[in-house]
Amino acid sequence: MASLPPAPQTECEASVQLGPDGLARVVLKGRLSSRTVVDCWRDLEQSLRGASVKTLEVDVSGVDFCGGAGFALLRYLNMGRMTLGAKVSVVGLAAGFQTLFEGFTAQDYDKFHPQPQKSSHPLVEEAGHATSQMLDDLRGQVDFLGGLAANFPPSLVNPKRMRWPEVRHVFELAGANAVPIVSLVSLLLGFIIAFESAQRLADFGAQIYVANTITVVMVREMGPLMTAILLAGRSASAFAAEIGTMKVNEELNALETLGLNPIRFLVVPRLMAGVMVAPLLTCYSILMGVVGGALVMLGLGFSLRLILHQMAISVHLSDLWVGMEKAVVFGIIVSGVGCWRGLQTEQGPSAVGLSTTRAVVTSLLLIIVADACFSTISYFLK
Amino acid sequence: MNKSDEIVVAVKDPTCSQTMNESDDIVISVKDLSIGYGERVILEKINFQVKRGEVFVILGESGCGKSTLMKTMIGLYPPQSGEVWIEGGNLVAAEGDDRLRLLRKFGVMYQSGALFGSMNVLENVRLPLDEFTELPEPLKELVCLAKLKLVGLGNAANKMPSELSGGMQKRAAIARAMVMDPGILFLDEPSAGLDPITSAGIDLLVSGLSHHFGITFVIVSHELASIYAVADRVIMVDCQTRGIVAQGKPADLRDGATDPWVHRFFNREADASHSVQPT
Repeated sequence: MASLPPAPQTECEASVQLGPDGLARVVLKGRLSSRTVVDCWRDLEQSLRGASVKTLEVDVSGVDFCGGAGFALLRYLNMGRMTLGAKVSVVGLAAGFQTLFEGFTAQDYDKFHPQPQKSSHPLVEEAGHATSQMLDDLRGQVDFLGGLAANFPPSLVNPKRMRWPEVRHVFELAGANAVPIVSLVSLLLGFIIAFESAQRLADFGAQIYVANTITVVMVREMGPLMTAILLAGRSASAFAAEIGTMKVNEELNALETLGLNPIRFLVVPRLMAGVMVAPLLTCYSILMGVVGGALVMLGLGFSLRLILHQMAISVHLSDLWVGMEKAVVFGIIVSGVGCWRGLQTEQGPSAVGLSTTRAVVTSLLLIIVADACFSTISYFLK
Repeated sequence: MNKSDEIVVAVKDPTCSQTMNESDDIVISVKDLSIGYGERVILEKINFQVKRGEVFVILGESGCGKSTLMKTMIGLYPPQSGEVWIEGGNLVAAEGDDRLRLLRKFGVMYQSGALFGSMNVLENVRLPLDEFTELPEPLKELVCLAKLKLVGLGNAANKMPSELSGGMQKRAAIARAMVMDPGILFLDEPSAGLDPITSAGIDLLVSGLSHHFGITFVIVSHELASIYAVADRVIMVDCQTRGIVAQGKPADLRDGATDPWVHRFFNREADASHSVQPT
């Protein structure tokens, strides 16, 4: 196709005549479009601002096109905004233009009052607002936990109540689809821990203990924690977005009017899937982290047999048990918080995004808090 | 003032006067247009033209491709084949600045209004002026307020979209579509989901803008009452034949359609197969 010819550059001409006794005359000619009005405005500003004008006549008989911006310019002049206190008249408007010009008057403009910018809340008001929000949040948590307590155990006792196809679907999305990212992150984590500890332990001639370090750290701490962080980023946000969108689309209302409890229908399957998937992914993460560490040690010149021996003697079943306990709790946190924030979604275009962000932030916060609790308890129980 | 005078007044834009193959009277020309998704063809080799200043309605049953046709006409979807000429430029083939210049020739109101939820009504309407013009701030404000008054939202400039009713949101969307003074407005289901009074208000607005400003309207709708109220000409698309099954003035089609399906559509007669048969 041949390209379009360039748009003709018909310009607007503005001439200003300043007469004696505060009389002034502006003659506009040509085309008053959003493009040409800009230059026109500049010329008029230079000539009229500061001039002592008592009566201004704007002659537009030579205007052959007037768009919205042109009418705005005429109205602005007519309201005396460039010539404060002057009496302004617009003459020479064609019949069609006159009707359009009178469609928006100075009175219409005066009715509009821009909303004042909201001033920042005083400290007390802010504190009260935050407290009220926290209490609402707490009430929501209690409601949610109550609903969960009423629906989750019965579904475990009576498997027919559980929506297993949904559990399988979520399990696949949150678990199987997360394998590549868990592999990469855990492998690199193993690399990082091994290299960092190898540098320090080399000073004491104890590089062989890198194998012990990496195994203990991955099994007890980093495996469950990294898996939980990845789950929070992938699955908690996905649950919140999915349930939030359902709420915005009134699908949750539809469930309730059909007599279906949204917690049993949506939350319980996700929680079940989360509880199942987190320990499995954690095991896999531990394995990949250990492989990463082993690769570094092989690179440092240790034999595979020695590495495996050191790894085997460094952890006990109780360590793995601690790791799995953490994984289950983190799984509950990630699924529960994701669903809870989704159910909290309000109306509005940014509501789903806000719920998603809250889901991730709350999950991460609770994961760290839970991890700290685990560490404290296991220290004192030892 | 008569309508033809107004058209000269409002659409006397040198960038619109260029003609390539079309007469001045034709603003949109759809040539051998085929649309669909992937391999699936929805409409095949359809042809029609829209005249300057007319209210042109595309109608058909639900799911027959009306909205897809409109979205292809405005360049959102690529067609499978064919051309869409708008004011002398082929939007399908246009690229870069040419395409941008063609896009400026029309405004679009989407079915939901598609107002930006984080901005108030005035900011929504002002957005194109902020992005594409260097107008001084006071003039931008005046232009927007004038457009809002034109669509009957003079007092809603400070409101957020979430505070507006469905009809008001659509009016605000029309104001936003009009703010750059386009000669053509595309409206997707302007009456959908509105009560009869609000719907009639939108019809009145469309008629008024067409009559007083000479704006060409292309409307996708299946609301018969609105079609009879505003349409100068309609085309009816059909997914069975994948083409245009009827075109003309709505009253003529209502009274004189020979095709039974078209007759049923315009006279709002149900298909007998849809009736409930007690067992």
